[in-house]
Amino acid sequence: MKKIFPSTVHLALTLIWLVVALYMIFLYAPQEATMGEVQRIFYIHFSAACTALLAYLFVFLGSMGYLWKRSRRADDFAYASAEVGFVFCSCVLVTGPLWAKPAWGIWWTWDARLTSTFILWLLYIGYLMLRSYVNNPGRVEVLSAVVGILGFVDAIIDYMAIRWWRTQHPQPVIAGGPGSGLDPRMWLTVFVTWGAFLCLYFYLVRQRMALAESRRELILLRRDLAS
Amino acid sequence: MVNWYLFTAYSLVWLIFVVYVWILAKRQARLIKELADLRNKLHEEGSAGSRSPQS
Repeated sequence: MKKIFPSTVHLALTLIWLVVALYMIFLYAPQEATMGEVQRIFYIHFSAACTALLAYLFVFLGSMGYLWKRSRRADDFAYASAEVGFVFCSCVLVTGPLWAKPAWGIWWTWDARLTSTFILWLLYIGYLMLRSYVNNPGRVEVLSAVVGILGFVDAIIDYMAIRWWRTQHPQPVIAGGPGSGLDPRMWLTVFVTWGAFLCLYFYLVRQRMALAESRRELILLRRDLAS
Repeated sequence: MVNWYLFTAYSLVWLIFVVYVWILAKRQARLIKELADLRNKLHEEGSAGSRSPQS
């Protein structure tokens, strides 16, 4: 992977993609008729939310991979995905209220979508705290894998909340059935922004996994030095 | 006129990413330094070990 797609190329691609996304958000996408300029928050809010949910899916898959095959790489992937997913989930919780206030007149409401997203954020924190505070190699990986698998239930509820219940949060614009949808230029902007966020997500996960590998090397060297 | 909500949302999102990248870079730099120190120590011990039987 490192040889096929070097980290510097990945970073350059991510930065260019982000600049293109910003150009499209502010200069290409049309202004929404009722909400005006503030609707442009939608592009980062939606993209960050999709990435945070996808990150939890990867936490789930990495956790399953670890429990099934005891693969260290799968565990590293789950851990890295949880950390980066937490960053994206924080972006969702920051941009959501800043869009809700001008659109709904309130910063926050405890509806199904908002509450399940907040729980997802707490789950990310719980997972990361578990990784930091349990100092028992072998056991911490198993415990966090269990949290990663059980927590995925909330990710599903979060995704389905606006389909299962009537919420203050708008109904889905993607895969939301008849009546949902966007202007074609808005669609394109959404996909370019989400693509840029995904590229950033994979870049950060890659860096985080490299860090885990270096840490393991450090532990081995320390052991060598002690023996 | 700049929309305050829009400006704040975008500023905070980039701030979150910048802070996270900075934390990652700091962790990486610390690990690289620790690895280099340990390698040096191992190298020194190795060369001292190979010298001692001759002396």
